[in-house]
Amino acid sequence: MKKLLLITLLSFGLQHLSIAQDFKEGFVQEEVDMKKYDKDTAAHAVFLNEFGNSRMDVTSDDRIGLIYNYHAKIKIFDNKGFSSGTIEIPVHNGDNVTEEVTDISGTTYYKDDNGLMQKLDLDPKKIFKVKDYKYQSTIKFALPGLRPGCVIEFRYRLTSPFWDNFRKWEFQDDIPKIYSQYEVHIPGFWTFNASLRGPYKLTKNSSELERECFTSHGSKSDCSHLVYGMKDIPAFVEEDYMTSPKNFLSAIYFELVEWTNPYTGAKTRETKEWKDIDHQLKIEDGFGSQLKRKDLMKERMDPIIAGKTTEMDKATAIYAYLQKWYKWNDYIGISSSDGIKRAMDAHTGSIADINLTLITALNAAGINTEAVLLSTREHGNINTLYPVISDFNYVVAKANIDGKSYYLDASDPLLSFGVLPLKCLNDKGRVISLDKPSYWVELSTLQKTSEIHTLDLTLLDNGKIKGTITNYYNGYKAYTQRKAIKKFNSVDEYIEDLDGKLPKIKILKSNISNLDSLNQPLGEIFEVEIDAYDNMNKARLVFNPFFWEKRTTNPFKLAERDYPVDWGMASDNRLVLNMHLPAQYVIETPPQVVAFALPNSGGMFVTNFDSHDNEFTFSNMTRFTKAIYTPEEYPYLKELYNKIVLTEKTDMVFKKK
Amino acid sequence: MKNCLLLLFLSIISIVASAQENYDVSLISKDLLPYASAVVRNNEVSVEVKDYDNTLYHIKTAVTILNKNGNNIADIVVWHNKSRVIKSIKGIVYNQFGKQVNKFSESDFEDVNAQDGFSLFQDLKVKHYNPAVTDYPYTIVYEYEVKSKQSLNFSDWEPNSTTGQAVEKSSYTFSCKPDFNIRYKEINMPAKVVIGTNKDGYKTYTWQVNNLKAIKDEPYSPNEDKYLSSVKIAPEKFSYEGITGSFSNWKEMGKWIYDKLLASRLQVPGATASYMKQLTDSITNPKLKAQKIYEYMQGKTHYISVQVGIGGYQPFLAADVDQQNYGDCKALVNYTQALFKTVNIDSYYCIVEAGSRKQSPLNDFASMNQFDHVILCLPFKNDTTFLECTSQKIPFGFLSDFTDDRTVLACTPEGGKLLHTPKYTASNNLQQRKATFVLDTQGNLSGQMQTIFKGTQYDNREGIIEEAPKERIKNLQKEYAINNMDIEKVDFKQDKSLHPITTETIKLSAGEYGSVNDGKITFLANATNRSHNVPREIRNRRHEVYINRGYTDEDEIVYTLPAGYHIDLRPTDVSINKPFGKFSATIMVKGNELVYKRHVQLIDGTYSKDIYQNLIDFFQAIVESDDNNVTLAKGN
Repeated sequence: MKKLLLITLLSFGLQHLSIAQDFKEGFVQEEVDMKKYDKDTAAHAVFLNEFGNSRMDVTSDDRIGLIYNYHAKIKIFDNKGFSSGTIEIPVHNGDNVTEEVTDISGTTYYKDDNGLMQKLDLDPKKIFKVKDYKYQSTIKFALPGLRPGCVIEFRYRLTSPFWDNFRKWEFQDDIPKIYSQYEVHIPGFWTFNASLRGPYKLTKNSSELERECFTSHGSKSDCSHLVYGMKDIPAFVEEDYMTSPKNFLSAIYFELVEWTNPYTGAKTRETKEWKDIDHQLKIEDGFGSQLKRKDLMKERMDPIIAGKTTEMDKATAIYAYLQKWYKWNDYIGISSSDGIKRAMDAHTGSIADINLTLITALNAAGINTEAVLLSTREHGNINTLYPVISDFNYVVAKANIDGKSYYLDASDPLLSFGVLPLKCLNDKGRVISLDKPSYWVELSTLQKTSEIHTLDLTLLDNGKIKGTITNYYNGYKAYTQRKAIKKFNSVDEYIEDLDGKLPKIKILKSNISNLDSLNQPLGEIFEVEIDAYDNMNKARLVFNPFFWEKRTTNPFKLAERDYPVDWGMASDNRLVLNMHLPAQYVIETPPQVVAFALPNSGGMFVTNFDSHDNEFTFSNMTRFTKAIYTPEEYPYLKELYNKIVLTEKTDMVFKKK
Repeated sequence: MKNCLLLLFLSIISIVASAQENYDVSLISKDLLPYASAVVRNNEVSVEVKDYDNTLYHIKTAVTILNKNGNNIADIVVWHNKSRVIKSIKGIVYNQFGKQVNKFSESDFEDVNAQDGFSLFQDLKVKHYNPAVTDYPYTIVYEYEVKSKQSLNFSDWEPNSTTGQAVEKSSYTFSCKPDFNIRYKEINMPAKVVIGTNKDGYKTYTWQVNNLKAIKDEPYSPNEDKYLSSVKIAPEKFSYEGITGSFSNWKEMGKWIYDKLLASRLQVPGATASYMKQLTDSITNPKLKAQKIYEYMQGKTHYISVQVGIGGYQPFLAADVDQQNYGDCKALVNYTQALFKTVNIDSYYCIVEAGSRKQSPLNDFASMNQFDHVILCLPFKNDTTFLECTSQKIPFGFLSDFTDDRTVLACTPEGGKLLHTPKYTASNNLQQRKATFVLDTQGNLSGQMQTIFKGTQYDNREGIIEEAPKERIKNLQKEYAINNMDIEKVDFKQDKSLHPITTETIKLSAGEYGSVNDGKITFLANATNRSHNVPREIRNRRHEVYINRGYTDEDEIVYTLPAGYHIDLRPTDVSINKPFGKFSATIMVKGNELVYKRHVQLIDGTYSKDIYQNLIDFFQAIVESDDNNVTLAKGN
């Protein structure tokens, strides 16, 4: 979806250099004398100033591109801040064109051993370029002569042919910034939407018209010159159980709305409305064209669904077939670069290759199936105010069978029909089909995970406990547990390892059910013998009814959070313990019977106890009904866990009659 | 044209030739299947030294991937750079019946820069490919040829060093001109070398192994050279990046390194030299002088690794480090050595294999590839001090667990010397904690604790100390499993002497530490240092039990109990004494005070594999004891 404008006419146009409001190069004495950053005295380094400037212009190869200049000055307080002196610039490579980084310079200003000011320049021979993978390289360099107290300054220019992907600007970094400013120059031929994310406000926001700032082959245009500035930006600190930092980092993003070809005057609307995107996707080689290849898929799927009569049977057969057929090549994306036929023939492909194959195959078999574009958890949330196609980086299938929707990703052979991997459970997805307008679907409420443990145990006179432990896993937990079992070459090796990890418990017999029947709950039945007590000559025996899965510390430590807790899905965990004691024992201390709940039915922890004679049944349930808990709900969540820990800490006591 | 035809003809021959081998999976012996995700059917490595600057590697591998877990074993990875050039790569995929299903060639491989995760840059690239096969089992057969322009290093032959992989047959042939002499070392080899002459008149050395079972991870295993088969080869005379040389023992190797790679690198600018003199002028004790300069170096430099060409073995010039203020281990050691030289302090550049697992070079076999790090040695009379030069904060003379207790090669003008770095014993590596807590009737806990960290445990808080105050508290809350712990104040003191000590003082409170139920208060006796890990049981253990490094943990907690309560239930005291370790946990009650004491010591060494169950029982006893509650009830 990247566009290139190649200019074939001879160029008369003068290269226009707009005057950038960059900060002055060099240091001032108080920057060198600065001992700490008052607003964050623990900071090891701070951006004194940062400036970026992007403009659309004609690049040296006479194509239209994006020219980005970056300039930063950083104060390094101590040697723990030296890592800020190693610079890495990611460079994107396309199939035929690539971004270029030029005009790199860097300088370190420092006081030498005798207290005299010195400056040292970066040696251009010490700038390295490393190819990370097909689509990305990194330019790396280390500023020379760093010392505690030094000031470093560096700049570079990045020229990108991917002008429709206008450079974003991150105001916030993992070290604080005193000032950060971004300027953009956009010729009238182009219109972009700008959106600011994160909690901090711009301290400078101005726009002005630049006369005839863009000239190429006789075409001229005025530019919008926009300036965004922010002062005193704190360092970004990640929290546990959060999704992509991108959702919370202060940054400004740009999305192309429309543009006019400067040479032909032809106007292209890019992201005005979803119906435009729908249309664009439908005719796109790597997307809509693939979804239309039903004939190809019909031929290949007919033998797979032969004899199957219901839509559900056909769909599960095709899904299972493609799960096994494909080996995912670890690339994600929403567009199939070589088409689904080549991918299928090669048995390998990207997420788009695999799941577009699935969607087309299901449709070919007569099962109404739509594509769902989404953004993975790592990739961040979607802009829902207006369409931003680059927000999406993943595509899955939505099969509509008997009035129900099943979300499918065929890239992992262990996923049950209708279960998506955790990485996909993020924000919203956009459902696209060839014959209907697209619409949103909520992904964060899509899925749940549940497990049930049943323990049927008898305490024997010799101090051992014998019985069975049964675990049933449903939904996502069935997937993770299958993965854990399949890490071993056989079920026997899994049991051997599990037995080895439970020193007090001997697994005498075991049975794993539905390991390969992905659409059934996964079951584990263990016949066990537990070395519980060495010595039964005691008047009182202590027993913890939570021994199978005891939570001893609260996972939430902070008094308050800035960002939501995001688990991706709701969960339900139950345990039922039936226990028989020797005749001479009675229960002196029963377990605590409690019921704690989160506000608005957000979740609960409940225990139940019932006993007669020398038998008892104890059950407990932990349930979280939501995937995401806001910072306002966090204190309740933390307190619920506190109560869980307290309850599970309490032992039972059995007393000899 | 003729050449083309000939090539075509040859390639047909070779496909026919390989098709003759039968890769039917059912032919694999059942004995090789346990714990295996893949079975190497045949691996032939041939190394041919044609000249000092021309060594040809020919590798042919047939490997059957039994299930998805074996896919990473199907990764084909070929390293290359300017002095290691790929001549050819090709391969074939067979299905489980040994029928060819696919072919691949060099153009299918992706070529990227090798990245070790810590270097800024290395001049090493890697071509890699993993055939997309989804029907298990399958077999891939590939061969490639690489030309190396050096004859100093020959990769060790390790026929089975990958967990989860069994080997049907693997062979290694080293061939060279009759006047090219080598030394070789066979380690745990079931069969000895076969020496002969090939049709070109080259000397050949051949090793072969058959039917090696898959390796299973066993906790507390000794170093791999204690149980894995391997062969090491070193040349008598060699050429490397245009530098020639010869050595046959550690003394000569150290001499070669010093003369050819180090001697010319030690010049620092006059200004720096005079600054060093000025800095140390008032100090007479040479060791204190050295410490002053070392601390200057630490304050000035930081670690950045750039590896290009001979720079993989040779340090940057000291003058460059003086200007750039950065370098890798070689550069920073060489720079420190150069600084010492300006005030006439001698020191040795020492090569070492670093890492928490202690690894020493073979005493009787000198070769370059037994090391990955450099430290500096100050050979004072009756006092040998080793210095780690890549850290800005490690105390002078302290090696921590990175290079302690192992043999290093000092490269001196007189030649190489094997030296041994200091050992930190189980009782040196001490974490000692004293806490005084008050428990109230609601189960709330408050009080303070002080912990000292010594020996290799000195490092336990290095990460946390670096953090900002808020992050320190977050990390300590994770470190201590005290539920609801609020840290009112935390303070760290570091004594950075030769035997450094970190002291941590924490003032804390923890609401509902004890659980109140039915008028009783239940709380964990061990609030501060609970252990959760027990090594897993291993059926038919193969390896001896090896404890790499010992340590001692001591905790003493004095609880002031709420008035009007008595002890209703308490755990019995535990005391275990084994050759590999000691554990005790005791509770004493004096008036309204409960004193909990816990002592754990693990003693490093190698023990018979038969004691492994005892080791599991030992750790299990600790975990159980750490989980014990005390219950208080009202009344006296």
